[in-house]
Amino acid sequence: MDEQNTRRDFIKKMTAASLAASATTIPLASFLSSCTGTVPKIPSTADTVILLWMAGGMAHTETFDPKAYVPYEKGVESKRVLSTFPKVPTAVDGLDFSKGLESIGSVMDKGAIIRSYKSADLGHILHTRHQYHWHTCYEPPQSVQAPHIGAWIAKELGPANPVIPPFIAMGQRFTVGEAEELKAFHSAGFLGSEYGPFLIPDPSGGLESVRPPQGMSIKRFEARYKLYKELANKSKVMESGSDYQRESLMRSMEQSYRLLNSPEAKVFDLSEEPKEVYDTYNTGRFGLGCLLAKRLAMNGGRFISVSTEYEPFLGWDTHENGHTRLVKMKELIDRPIAQLVKDLDESGHLDRTLIILASEFSRDAIMEGRPGEQVQDQVPQPDVIEDEKFYGMHRHFTDGSSILMWGGGVEKGLIYGKTADERPCSSIENPVVIDQVHQSIYHALGMHPETHYTIEGRPFYTTPDGHGKPILDLFGKPMKNSKNQDKEALTS
Amino acid sequence: MEEFNWILQLLGRFHPLLVHFPIGLLVVALFFELLTIGGKRPALREGIHWMVYVGAAFGVLAALLGWLLRTYDDYSGDLVTNHQNVGIATAVFSVITALLLRNTLNGKLSDYRVYRSGLMVTVILLAVAGHLGANLTHGEDYLTSVLPGNKDAYDNSKSVALLAELKQSDSLSEIQQDKLNLEVRAIFAHNCYQCHSENKQKGELVLEHKEGVFKGGESGPAIVAGKPSESELYRRVTLSPNDDEVMPKKGKVLKDNEIALIKLWIQNGAHWSDQALKVFPEAALALESPELPKVEGQSHPVDKLIGSYFEKNSIDWSESVDDRTFIRRVYMDVIGLLPEPEAIAEFANDSIPDKRGALIDTLLGDTHNYTQNWLSFWNDLLRNDYSGTGFITGGRKQITDWLYSSLQENKSYDQMVKELVNPTDASEGFIKGIQWRGVVNASQRTEMQAAQNIGQSLLGVNVKCASCHNSFVSNLTLAETYGFASIFADSVLELNRCDKPLGKMAKVNFLYPELGDVEAESVKERLSKLSEVIIKPENGRLYRTITNRFWKRLMGRGIVEPADEMDNEPWDSDLLDWLASDFIASGYDLKHLIKQIITSKAYQLPTAHYEKLEDIKSNYVFKGPVLRRMSAEQFSDAVSQVIKPMYAAVAFNPKGGELPSSRIWHREIKFDRDVLPEPGKRYFRKTITLPNKSITSAKVLVSVDHSHTLYINDKKASEGSDWTKVYRSDVTPLLLKGENTIAIEGINEGTIANPAGILFSMKIIYSDGSEMILNSDKSWKSTAEEPDQGWTSVAFDDSNWVEVRNYGTSNWGKLIDFSFEEHNGEFARASLVQQHPFMKALGRPSRENVATSRDDQATLLQALELTNGEFFNNVLEEGAGQWLKRYDDNSEKIVDELYQKSLGRKPTDDEKEIMLAVLGNQPKQEALQDIFWSTLILPEFQFIN
Repeated sequence: MDEQNTRRDFIKKMTAASLAASATTIPLASFLSSCTGTVPKIPSTADTVILLWMAGGMAHTETFDPKAYVPYEKGVESKRVLSTFPKVPTAVDGLDFSKGLESIGSVMDKGAIIRSYKSADLGHILHTRHQYHWHTCYEPPQSVQAPHIGAWIAKELGPANPVIPPFIAMGQRFTVGEAEELKAFHSAGFLGSEYGPFLIPDPSGGLESVRPPQGMSIKRFEARYKLYKELANKSKVMESGSDYQRESLMRSMEQSYRLLNSPEAKVFDLSEEPKEVYDTYNTGRFGLGCLLAKRLAMNGGRFISVSTEYEPFLGWDTHENGHTRLVKMKELIDRPIAQLVKDLDESGHLDRTLIILASEFSRDAIMEGRPGEQVQDQVPQPDVIEDEKFYGMHRHFTDGSSILMWGGGVEKGLIYGKTADERPCSSIENPVVIDQVHQSIYHALGMHPETHYTIEGRPFYTTPDGHGKPILDLFGKPMKNSKNQDKEALTS
Repeated sequence: MEEFNWILQLLGRFHPLLVHFPIGLLVVALFFELLTIGGKRPALREGIHWMVYVGAAFGVLAALLGWLLRTYDDYSGDLVTNHQNVGIATAVFSVITALLLRNTLNGKLSDYRVYRSGLMVTVILLAVAGHLGANLTHGEDYLTSVLPGNKDAYDNSKSVALLAELKQSDSLSEIQQDKLNLEVRAIFAHNCYQCHSENKQKGELVLEHKEGVFKGGESGPAIVAGKPSESELYRRVTLSPNDDEVMPKKGKVLKDNEIALIKLWIQNGAHWSDQALKVFPEAALALESPELPKVEGQSHPVDKLIGSYFEKNSIDWSESVDDRTFIRRVYMDVIGLLPEPEAIAEFANDSIPDKRGALIDTLLGDTHNYTQNWLSFWNDLLRNDYSGTGFITGGRKQITDWLYSSLQENKSYDQMVKELVNPTDASEGFIKGIQWRGVVNASQRTEMQAAQNIGQSLLGVNVKCASCHNSFVSNLTLAETYGFASIFADSVLELNRCDKPLGKMAKVNFLYPELGDVEAESVKERLSKLSEVIIKPENGRLYRTITNRFWKRLMGRGIVEPADEMDNEPWDSDLLDWLASDFIASGYDLKHLIKQIITSKAYQLPTAHYEKLEDIKSNYVFKGPVLRRMSAEQFSDAVSQVIKPMYAAVAFNPKGGELPSSRIWHREIKFDRDVLPEPGKRYFRKTITLPNKSITSAKVLVSVDHSHTLYINDKKASEGSDWTKVYRSDVTPLLLKGENTIAIEGINEGTIANPAGILFSMKIIYSDGSEMILNSDKSWKSTAEEPDQGWTSVAFDDSNWVEVRNYGTSNWGKLIDFSFEEHNGEFARASLVQQHPFMKALGRPSRENVATSRDDQATLLQALELTNGEFFNNVLEEGAGQWLKRYDDNSEKIVDELYQKSLGRKPTDDEKEIMLAVLGNQPKQEALQDIFWSTLILPEFQFIN
């Protein structure tokens, strides 16, 4: 059989099968009613989203929005310290980053920065609550299971390549502290497990997830499936019951067999990369996640997240040694992220791939929570720093976070929003909330802002009550005429 | 130029007036023309001619004005375009007809035939244009809406009848006033609430309640009592459908009888009734107690009811399923396990009368297995789980102990509900809800969760919607919900709409106040009152809801669907209410309810054939049970039975007999923090001093994640590499009086940091009968550096080693085999196991919210888990190894056993041939593993037929 033909037939079958499968969703179909109908589709500027997740609360003043640098000396007052790193210039005039992020700075002429993200005010901080909010746009707990943004996208747009799961989440293990809370938002919620994340905690072993079971040759794998089909055909046919139930079961097995036996699974194989490229990315699991994200984006991934991994008091969650630990965190992310942007740009994929870098909130040395809403402190911090251990941003701060974006129609070199230069360095221009971030992503993907399903009698929107609006400035459509732009975007 | 547009606009608005001329003239012209056929009634001729000429002229004029109307009055859409095109065509044809008539009269055409055809076409076009125009004015469903079967969603006949009744009376009685008001409010609800409710106050007008209606909105008061003509609301609903100010909205007007009722209501003083408006259908609270119908040949009460249902629906009874199908079905439903081949054979060969009834009694009496099967149903329903959000900050509590013992002792359902609503320490987890750290949305405070969960799980009513605003899907209001939630609150709750405080305090009430008063000073007293009120037999809703859930669970589809919305119509209300009444009469006996259903012939019918999923969802007709798929737990347990135990550890061990089960490992620190251990070798030591007594026996249990070598006094005592296994050894000869050293070399495998832990226990029995137990705990020491030789002996100096870290049981659960007594063939029942990725993929819900129906569709992620999931494939691989040993590599025996155990039957010759071809004479582990896989994936295995 002609290879080309097989592939096309396969894709055709896969699509038909997925459609049929979604049509036979028993409990879902009875509770979900789609909003589709006369809703006009909006033109998209991106097909793929890569979310680079800086878990644990990344201080904006230490990374992408540096303020006055006060070097460490014994006896320095905490309140004087705004940044523990000096500024370095980037490829964009007037845009400075914190030292250690030079590589990312060098690709900022290809992307945009939001410097005014305000997280929700959820009282006494629990990281995973804010992470849940960031990823689902809903504050936990909810009376129904809220879907992850990746699940919404998987549900609405489906896979871009039928053999690549449309929602892939990399880099996070679920054996660490707050694991249950992490699981709660790595979920398709009421949309149904079909749209849930394909989890790859360790990207270097990503291939294992899409290959026949370990130790099983392709030949054996094929023979095993053949045996099952033969037995299913021979097996005493059940005279009663309904065909569609058996068919949907058999069809899902066929889909999975085809996927796992597909040559495209090699997309997940990092060993196919030249050594220099592998080494450039390899700063650890996060860097290799970026490498796999690149391969997926080039081959029809839909929503891919790469997390620096959340483990309480580790990673970006600095409660002590903030300065020294951030040196390491920057080494972890700087090179692979810049390389990811460059590689996708060179291959032309950046045009249709939206890369976002974000964190659940920022940090500060003094403020816990937000101005006027100082909440319960978690780890006591001294007013005067007598030990370098206390030099850094060791408290949680829910304002002023930076979000970076590249590609997928995002305006190049744009700086959106601004924070104050004095403590606590809050947002003072164009504050952005999570609804806008989600709607901007949906806007780029061409998803209608009022996408929703009815669950238990409640219309559940992608962003609460369907009220969120995209930040059109990000896409070179100034907000001044936002009303017209909005209308145009919705109706054209 | 533009300032004169109003003239054109004005002219345009004459279109609706003018169109009636051509309509009248041309239709009558055609009618008269027909009368003159055959040269009759020549007197009409002159008149017809005038009508055709004038009709054509007005036709053109009307088209022109129509075009103006469309242009200057902002009309658009397909309907307008169609109306316009057909209208223009009508005008053109009317002129052509007029010309044809003139030519005929001039003698250019020989007879009237061509002209008459032209007139006919014109009138047809006219009719179409007129119809489209009427649709524009009165709405597209203007004509069709009155056709039988096309009635609006709500019943208009009631308001028509009421209008007729009221029109006849000169003055209205109080009852009539109430009825009138409620009807008017129903009209508001169906036509106005969408924009004018508390939730969405368009024009600042709220028509949901008295205050809103009489306060009015932006345009001033809506109602002037007694004076319809001065009432803004009345003015708006009587405007022309084209008017910008018309209500409900442009193009949609109220029905004449509705307008008449509103007028009548205002005329009569706009009385407001104290009665609550019930917009949505609501099931009666009390149960009907239907008589059992007399149906020939049926003795079982359920079958009498179903028999009568079948008669009504012209359905014939099918033969009951055979013994093999029945035993598998009833095993799965009652105890959640596959029948062993011996049990099947015995049952099939048994010839005692009512052997099926006897089997049901036996299974219901198998207390632990019954409990462990139904536990999952109740865990889902009561949102109880062993892990999940909230536990980390103490914001959640399990009710497992209470639930397990309640099911085990078959506690009566009213007592269970009582203990859930007015809880003891053991059952308070249900109304306690889930609290994450920090502040939450008003609709998600724990008191609200209690109201929502009691509503959904126990009463089948959706309280969630009304926690934020008045419900759109039921009659429940925000105030009622807050009143209900206040029962659970320490202080009176303030009403919040969509998380915004309203400055109004809740008034404590139960959703069904007719059942009794729940007000009291303290929470404790209120809960006590509620627990008495809610379980009253008069609360048919409580018993109907659980009855329906059990029916659904056993038959695959509820008598009411969705099972959480008990106000929906049942497909047989007699059946539902009879079962619920019978359940009450049995003393709220849950096992009785199960038995009542599964001893019926209805349960023993073959699974019914439904063409599409739709047929099960709506327009459902009961023909027999619906084919079901095994649940995640049932599938897991079936694999454990057939192949080998899937899970080694449970989160809850009902049989107790606990040994301390904390796992220890080397403490690893990064940035001053305890972190997960990196892969690699770690070394552990513990030195103990034994008394000067002689030892009768000393046994060791050890299990290490991932692998271990155990030394006692420098001698190897055990090694192994499977944390799910318990390695046992007799160490009696290795122990000495005085100092002894226990040393373990442990390895953490993998590529990244991951959980690792040692579980160790040693039991020494001395000759004097006394015992000593030594467990893994924090007194052990460890190091990550490879120690010098001799580290396993007493003499070694471990002073620079550090104290180990205690990891507890979190990542592993409780190994059921970790006991000095041997467990024979028991395995960890899936319902007792902590949520596992494999079960999650197969549809076990994370119980963050009440989950009353399982996702039993086949999904790709699930198929992937079955196809290449490491966990499942490892079970099959190990199982294959065990089978080969057990059956002495006898291929034929293996195939027979596999079919008997998994499918409850012998393989056919065909099947056996295929299997043996794969296995060969010397079966290999790989081949058997693949045969296992192929069998377990079969629909025949996965479905409960």
